[in-house]
Amino acid sequence: MSIKRGVSLYSYQQAQFFKQMNWKDMIREVHDNLHTDGIEIIDEATIRDYPFPSEQFIFDWNNEMARWGMKAVTMDIYLDVHQFRDHVMTHAEAAERLKNDIKIAARLGFENVRCLCMVPIDVIEMALPTAEKYNVRIGKEIHAPLPIKRRLTTAWVDPFLDYRMAQQIMDLADRTGSKYVGLVPDMGIFQHSPTRVSIAYRKRHTNIPEAVDFVVENRFNYNMDEMLAKIQEKYPGSDLTDPKSMQGLMLRKSSADPEDLREIAPYIVSIHGKFYEMTEIEGQPGHYEDKSIDYVNPIKILKECGYTGYINSEYEGQRDQQDMGYENLPNEVEEIRRHHEMLTRLCAD
Amino acid sequence: MFDQYLIVKNSLKNDIMDGKAVGFQFQVRIADYRGCFLSLHNGYYIEVDGVKYPKSLQTFEINGRPPRTFEEIKTCVWEHFNYDDAGIVHVAKEGGLEPGSHHIGLQQSILAQYGYRGKQDEEWVKNPPEPGTGAGAGKTATICYFDEVLQDA
Repeated sequence: MSIKRGVSLYSYQQAQFFKQMNWKDMIREVHDNLHTDGIEIIDEATIRDYPFPSEQFIFDWNNEMARWGMKAVTMDIYLDVHQFRDHVMTHAEAAERLKNDIKIAARLGFENVRCLCMVPIDVIEMALPTAEKYNVRIGKEIHAPLPIKRRLTTAWVDPFLDYRMAQQIMDLADRTGSKYVGLVPDMGIFQHSPTRVSIAYRKRHTNIPEAVDFVVENRFNYNMDEMLAKIQEKYPGSDLTDPKSMQGLMLRKSSADPEDLREIAPYIVSIHGKFYEMTEIEGQPGHYEDKSIDYVNPIKILKECGYTGYINSEYEGQRDQQDMGYENLPNEVEEIRRHHEMLTRLCAD
Repeated sequence: MFDQYLIVKNSLKNDIMDGKAVGFQFQVRIADYRGCFLSLHNGYYIEVDGVKYPKSLQTFEINGRPPRTFEEIKTCVWEHFNYDDAGIVHVAKEGGLEPGSHHIGLQQSILAQYGYRGKQDEEWVKNPPEPGTGAGAGKTATICYFDEVLQDA
C-alpha cells in the first residue's frame, strides 16, 4: 500500500466561479485524467443550500460518486462565530454546528470532516460521540503558520493560533481511546519561501514595485523592524508599512519541520496538498514541482511512517492572479494535473 | 480574490418604480471560495464616480426573495448565500444614474471567520465593521474598481 492521491474540489474554485466546471465535471476530471479516486470538498462551496441540502442533491452526489467509483475522503467544514449576529456563538452552539456537519458528511459518504485550526478542543470533544455514531472522523487542520510540534519560525504568528494544537488532539485521542479524532496537516506548513504568484500580485498592488523585490531578495538579512525601516530609507513613501501583510514576502523558513510528522503520523486523517504554482523541474521535462513548498522530505517521511492515507491537492495560486483579465488567469486543470504528476512520482513505492 | 469579477459584467442598470428611476442596481458574486450564512453578509462599500453610497441606502436581493435591508439580512441566520449565485445590490438614488460609463469602487463585507478571535468577536456583535475598511472583507481586502456602462432597465 502506498500513499493515495486525491483532489479537493477547492482547487477548481475559479472554474466553478466562472461556471466552466460544476462538481460533476470536477469528479470526471479526477477520474478520467488524474486516474485516481480521492475527493475532498468545501461544504459551503459544493453543497447547494448548505446546511440543508435537498434529498435530490444527496442522491445526485452519492450516485455520481458511485458511478465513477470515487472515494469521499474529507469534507472541509467551518466555524463562523457570528452566524447569529446578536451574540458570539457559544462553544455548545459551535459543537452543534460541528455535529450537524458530521451528519451531512455521513449522508454524502465522507469518511472525515476537516475542522479548522481554531476550533476549541472542548467543541471537538463535545462532538466526538456524534463522530463515532456516524462513523466520520474529525480531523483538525494544521495550517501555516502553525508548526506541528516545535515552533520553528520567529515570524509573526496569529495570536489565536495555538501551536500546542496537535498535542491537544493527540492527548484527546489517547485519553478517550477514540480513533475518531485526528489531524489534517496542510502541506503549506512546509512552504519555505514566498511564491512567485504572490510576489507578482504584490508588485501590481504597491506604489513602488521595486520595494517588493528588495524585501524578497533581502529577507534573510533583516528582521521585520529593520526591513520596514530599510524600505523607507531606500524607497521613501513606499506603502509597504504593515508587518502583518509583509509576512508572506518575508517568509524564510517553513512553519513546520517534516521530521515532526513522525510523531503525528498515526493520527493523520488526511492531508491537504496545498500548492501555488507547478513549474517544470530544470533538466527533467514533464516533471513538476512547487518551488516554494517542500514535498520531497515530508512524503519521504510519511512513507517511512507507513502512512497510506490520502494527499488531496489544494491549489491556491489562482487567487493571486484574479486581479488580471481572463487571458491571464491560470489554468487550474493543468496545475492540478502537474501536481498529480509530482504526487505520483514522489509517492511511488 | 476574484478582484476583477465581483461585479457581474453588464449588470449595472437603474431601478425604475412607477416610471421613475429611484436608484440603481448591479449583480455581485461572493468574494471568497465558499458561500456563507446570509446573516454574515454585512453590506458594501460603494462609490460611483466618486460619490459614496452607505449601507443605509443599500438593499440586497438573493434567493428569489424581494430586496432586503442589511438589518433584515442580519436576521437570516439559517439562510445561505450560495457560492455559485449572484445577488443583486440595489442602491437608492433619486433619478438613478446617468446613461454612459460609471467608475464603481466596491468592497463586500462578510463577517466570515475561521473560529474565535477574542475581543474582536464581541466588538463585531456590538459594532460590525464598516464596509470598505478591509475588516470583514474576507479574501478581497482591497477596494476593487470597475468601469461599467449603464444598461437599459
